[in-house]
Amino acid sequence: MNNNCIISAENIGHKINENKLFHNLSFTLDKGDALQIRGKNGSGKSTLLRIIMGITSPTKGNIKSFFSNEVCYLGHKNALKGYLTLEDNINLMQLNRHEHLDKYLNNLNLKKYLDVNVSSLSFGQQKKLALLRVFLNNSNLIVLDEPYVGLDDDAHNKLTEFLNSELNIKKSLIFTSHISCQIKSSCLDI
Amino acid sequence: MINLIRLEFLKLRKKTRSWLGPIIVFLLIMIAYPLTVEFLQEKLEIGFFSVLWIAILISMMLATEDIFTEDFNDGFLELMVIQNSSFSLGVSIKVFAYWFLIGVPVSFLGFIFSYGTTGNFSLSISIFPLALISSYIFLNLFALGNSLSLNKGSVLGAIVTMPLALPVLIVLGKSLTALQLDINFLSFILLLLGSLSIIIVIIPLIVSYIIKAHLE
Repeated sequence: MNNNCIISAENIGHKINENKLFHNLSFTLDKGDALQIRGKNGSGKSTLLRIIMGITSPTKGNIKSFFSNEVCYLGHKNALKGYLTLEDNINLMQLNRHEHLDKYLNNLNLKKYLDVNVSSLSFGQQKKLALLRVFLNNSNLIVLDEPYVGLDDDAHNKLTEFLNSELNIKKSLIFTSHISCQIKSSCLDI
Repeated sequence: MINLIRLEFLKLRKKTRSWLGPIIVFLLIMIAYPLTVEFLQEKLEIGFFSVLWIAILISMMLATEDIFTEDFNDGFLELMVIQNSSFSLGVSIKVFAYWFLIGVPVSFLGFIFSYGTTGNFSLSISIFPLALISSYIFLNLFALGNSLSLNKGSVLGAIVTMPLALPVLIVLGKSLTALQLDINFLSFILLLLGSLSIIIVIIPLIVSYIIKAHLE
């Protein structure tokens, strides 16, 4: 294990009741690297992300994390409040004072919906709003669960471009995706 | 921390049903009470305080009905666990926000109804701190219940934690007797404050572990 290592997993496995999701998975992630987790539906990709984030414990093996609390995580659930406006949700994410907020609101075509309740937005627009947390992150590690689901081509390309630029400045990335993307990453099949 | 408080207030303020519902239920119980007894001053006063404490208990139970459920379902709690070094502090702040927006108005209304029913200002003004402290204790207890039954329906949690609220009701009854006889009322306030100071430390810790177990 080198000094750049931020996650190291050794023979980890997880099962729910008697249903084995995955077993004997070993991998490491270094600073500036990307790891794509691939697998069929129900193979445990999201569970593996939750194990990496420390929300769930593996039923077997060891996982060591060397990152601080500053992690940008976007899971299956967007953590958005449907009864609040887009602007209130941005406040809730504590991004309202971010210097690049305006730029990304324009880029993602969200600016005109600032006073609209999030429950009235489409799934794709809600996903873009949730992705603001990624676009405006200050973290060294980005963890994304199916980030491309629901995005149109334009937003898809912007996200890919952004994630590649983050990798260039030595940030690390772990993501699951069924949709092909142009991110230079090593793959972990489960 | 101030930011966390601000965000909890933002969320709760916009969920009108969550904070206004329990206050309205409290009002309805207090308004309905005189209609169920003969309209004589002495008869009203006999059972008034029992109804007041039970009304506070029920409105606090309703207030915590979805205190964690929505955040659990939309992934907000998951994010809180990852981002906050002290998740139990987040839980404390959440309960505090509920108390401030629901418990404090209900306590104030309790004072008004008490004054309206008894006509005794000094007695009613003493009821106010009792209501404030007891509502905060009830909220913490029912928040524990809600966390226990996070994905099983809130009624189950309320039933489980209701016995924990009974000693508080007993102390409230005794403190009222002390107040009316003018003996040692302060010691009852201190007893409730002591209980509250333990509860506001221990319950958020327990709740945070329970929620983490649910997330896992």
